[in-house]
Amino acid sequence: MRALAFAAALAAFSATAALAAGALEAVQEAPAGSTEVKIAKMKFQTPEVRIKAGSAVTWTNTEALPHNVHFKSGPGVEKDVEGPMLRSNQTYSVKFNAPGTYDYICTPHPFMKGKVVVE
Amino acid sequence: MTHAYTKVRQALCYGSATLGAAALAALIAAGSAAAAESHGVATAKAAAADLAAGKADDPVVLKAAPINARRVFVYDPKHFAAISQFYMIDGDTARVVGTADGGFLSNPVVASDGSFFGQASTVYERIARGKRTDYVELLDPQTNNPIADIELPNSPRFLVGTYPWMTALTPNNKTLLFYQFSPQPAVGVVDLAGKKFDRMIEVPDCYHIFPSSNDTFFMHCRDGSLLKVGIGADGKSQTKRTEIFHKENEYLINHPAYSPKSGRLVWPTYTGKIFQIDLSSQDAKFLPAIEAFTDAEKKEGWAPGGWQQVAYHRESDRIFLLGDQRAASKHKAPSRFLFVIDAKTGKRINKIELKHEIDSVGVSQDAKPQLYALSTGDKALYIFDPETGKEVSSVNQLGAGPQVVMTSDM
Ligand SMILES: [Cu+2]
Repeated sequence: MRALAFAAALAAFSATAALAAGALEAVQEAPAGSTEVKIAKMKFQTPEVRIKAGSAVTWTNTEALPHNVHFKSGPGVEKDVEGPMLRSNQTYSVKFNAPGTYDYICTPHPFMKGKVVVE
Repeated sequence: MTHAYTKVRQALCYGSATLGAAALAALIAAGSAAAAESHGVATAKAAAADLAAGKADDPVVLKAAPINARRVFVYDPKHFAAISQFYMIDGDTARVVGTADGGFLSNPVVASDGSFFGQASTVYERIARGKRTDYVELLDPQTNNPIADIELPNSPRFLVGTYPWMTALTPNNKTLLFYQFSPQPAVGVVDLAGKKFDRMIEVPDCYHIFPSSNDTFFMHCRDGSLLKVGIGADGKSQTKRTEIFHKENEYLINHPAYSPKSGRLVWPTYTGKIFQIDLSSQDAKFLPAIEAFTDAEKKEGWAPGGWQQVAYHRESDRIFLLGDQRAASKHKAPSRFLFVIDAKTGKRINKIELKHEIDSVGVSQDAKPQLYALSTGDKALYIFDPETGKEVSSVNQLGAGPQVVMTSDM
């Protein structure tokens, strides 16, 4: 699990660098008023959120089982954005720069699905 | 016989390792246990007679006999090595009659009409790294020459310890279905007749593939239901969930037995409760569940365990389950006993002491079946008569960590 989390973290770093100017941008500090999504009981508790272009979503894992947020490449997403594995109470934020619908999963639990609709 | 001898002598004389699978097979058989030894003696006698008669040596590449019900395919994933191996064994003579190479964690398939065997596999351009290629390969079972090599786009295979029902053939052997886990559950459709990858079917969070017809298969879902999937024409697949048939704390093993010919799915839990589902009508009919062990036995620690822990013989409607006394969470450790159960009544017919640490079982589907007991630790296949419970023969030196036994229900 440690190796997996490490690999995921590496992937996230490279994705962040490559996508700094893209539609999705992993950010260290979420801007004020960003939307919160809690992760608990093997689920994204708010599986669909609607936000305005230019704002951010922050995910917080609230359980011991590690989870992440993983946007696969596809329409509107140039390259995979695979967030690091979050341990309990860790967070991850992504800023959305362009309108569209962005589906995501948790890498080791592909049945965990969520969606960010950017208007 | 003389040909087999020829290859052995040739290999021995020239010390060549490039003579092909047949020569290797003959060597393995010659260096093998009881049943194979007698073959070695017979071969030596025939060779001596040929020599005395002044018969000229005539080296050829051998062909295996056509697949029959007692052709056993043993797959060795070699404990997650990048390159794996298949052994083709004739159950009657307990001889290796051929080998084939595989890539990383192959999923083997054997055609029910004996026309081919093959695998969905994965290779990398620098042994275990570099560009990844997933592909489906079909081999002629007599020459072991490839008859199809179909690339799967975007490396969709699920890399997992080999579960036989993660890749399956439709009953007409014209379509191969394989499972994708990440980034989302899906089933890949490979058109074997047209020798091309067809498409991915998105499915909910369900696992395993049990084809019940040429265009229908079932899966087992996270919520405890089965999913029926109609492959459909022109990419229009339909899905329908059954009722939830087991509780959340009933853990179904990764190696159920499935008979495509009868549509019977036999699915044990960690504790030896056996769910049976009849898929023959293209709808799931849940049969009454069976308990393999009494409450008293469960208290004494009896539980199923191993890799392929269960086999099902279609004609006699019998279940063969590996079991032993074990601590909780030791469900992947081998078993020393085999429980023969009447699938209809749930009654125990026999308890066979295997006298080896057995990880996987298989059964031939002929009228008087052979039972195949594979030991990953011993790297050996022990062949039993399930009626008498007696070990008839064995084949050793089967790679590094053989785990999967497959036969063809012909
Ligand atoms: Cu997760």
